[in-house]
Amino acid sequence: MKTYQKFLLLTAISLATACAQDVDPTEPISAVNYFVPKLSPTLQVAGFPQPERNMISVEGVDLGKKLFFDPNLSANGKVSCASCHNPELAFTDGVSLAEHGVSGEKLHRTAPAIFNLAWQTEGLFWDGGAHDLESLNFGPLTHPDEMGADLDEIITYLEHDPAYKKQFNVVFPEEQIESAQVSRAISQYVRTLISQDSKYDRWQRKEESLTDLEIKGYQLYQKNCSSCHQEGLFTDRSFHNNGLDKTYLNPLELEGLYQGRFRITSNPQDMGAYKTPTLRNIALTAPYMHDGRFQTLEEVLDHYQNGIQLNESLASQLTNGIAINQQEREALLAFLATLTDSLFIHNHHPKSN
Amino acid sequence: MKNLVYTALLSSILMCSSCNDVEVPATMAMDISLEHKLDGQTLELNGKSFTLPSGEDFTPKKFKYYISNVVLTNTQTGEMYEEMDSYHLISEDGNKSIDLGMIPSANYNQLTFSIGVDEVANGKTDQTGDLDPNSDMAWNWNTGYKFLVLEGEFTNKNTTERQGLILHIGTNPNFQTITQPLTGVRAGKAISLILAADLDELFKDPNTLQLSDLESTTIMFGEMAAKVAENYSEGFITVK
Repeated sequence: MKTYQKFLLLTAISLATACAQDVDPTEPISAVNYFVPKLSPTLQVAGFPQPERNMISVEGVDLGKKLFFDPNLSANGKVSCASCHNPELAFTDGVSLAEHGVSGEKLHRTAPAIFNLAWQTEGLFWDGGAHDLESLNFGPLTHPDEMGADLDEIITYLEHDPAYKKQFNVVFPEEQIESAQVSRAISQYVRTLISQDSKYDRWQRKEESLTDLEIKGYQLYQKNCSSCHQEGLFTDRSFHNNGLDKTYLNPLELEGLYQGRFRITSNPQDMGAYKTPTLRNIALTAPYMHDGRFQTLEEVLDHYQNGIQLNESLASQLTNGIAINQQEREALLAFLATLTDSLFIHNHHPKSN
Repeated sequence: MKNLVYTALLSSILMCSSCNDVEVPATMAMDISLEHKLDGQTLELNGKSFTLPSGEDFTPKKFKYYISNVVLTNTQTGEMYEEMDSYHLISEDGNKSIDLGMIPSANYNQLTFSIGVDEVANGKTDQTGDLDPNSDMAWNWNTGYKFLVLEGEFTNKNTTERQGLILHIGTNPNFQTITQPLTGVRAGKAISLILAADLDELFKDPNTLQLSDLESTTIMFGEMAAKVAENYSEGFITVK
């Protein structure tokens, strides 16, 4: 018996050696090139968080980018991720509530800007309902009023496209394409959308100076806005009721949609609370608030000055509103304009690179 | 070369047959099938009307749920088998069985499993197999899985109108683990277990649901969902 086993073992070894000889020893074992994006100190972040199950690679990001701009993923072949997250508008769509999903029905919330999301670790979507990008993507992909996709049809489409099939097989170890991989690739691309080269960043890096007006605006920002829009990412990544409404409608069929983060946590403190959006690229991302109710930054400042609605969950910093005079308002708006990152917009234009 | 393989094959056959004669095989086949009943009758979708414990009539249209973390134990010897990656989507119009394949042989006398998906697996939805979000069991706006889905129509006794019932129960507090005694499992012998799911138990014990009196018959979160989960934590699925 033992002799036979030895024979078998020997055969197996010689077979394995034969196989190994066919492989070029200079070729890397993994076909993908993992990388960590270069980060500006002006983001004031410790590192680049990413889930272990989906570390970004050059090839994964390329695949994710292709998927992001591909309308064929949608039910009618006309809506891509970029339809609502247009790079030229810092990945927003410029309207309050979009009607350009596959159904033409109006959405209930405005398309948020999607950059610097690697650090948005306290929850995505306006109410923080999505734990991570990998889980979030299935929302817009399958929502009947957004891309309306059937995940199985997406897989069929990708499996039958030789270029996609090849890319998926390079990026992911599995033979068959699965919905998880589609979402992971898109997440890899989205995590590389990093805005960190605005005039503000260059000023902080001592590469450029701000005008006196802009500096005055920066000081006003620090005094009045920075507790929520914390410097660096220009968001505290948290959720607050900023006094938009006194009470909240709750039609049964919308499952608490107007109640903000309360819908997710059932915590009364979260009633009417939404994610603090970043102020980076704010000049490009009108209209403002989770439902796009304000068309201009002037209207936003009017709200903080005169429009705060008091109720029990209101963020305590806003109880008395934010009072600034006309000159200060001009300075603040001048500073906010320094947060526009033209290099980021240019680099991510679909026609660039 | 060929000769070697044949010899090896022959010797392995000889080995196995000799083992069988003297001792219990190291592994045994086990599968579990699920039977769905309502009002004492076999469940059917999209047609037949059933009577609920409340006395209201109900026509089911969809019934799906997750069985996860299947564990077999011999409570006397401490032998235990835990299925890896144990997530099974069971549905009335789809899969109604769990094939555990070959498991280590033991005289198992206890079966433990959960209804729903554990907190770790419930924290993300980019998953494969039975957790692939293509099954319509993943929530898109609030990351996590529906643990149990029952949809259908009933006649509201107050208005006499037909009305929809939607039960989508999920969220971590509603994850329930169930332990059942097993009899007749013998080490080394292939066995098929049958689990009976009694849908009446979703509507009673301890919380009786009178659908016509509910503020909303779309039950997804909050107090009502917790009540249904409390109902399915005991008596809903039992070993037959």
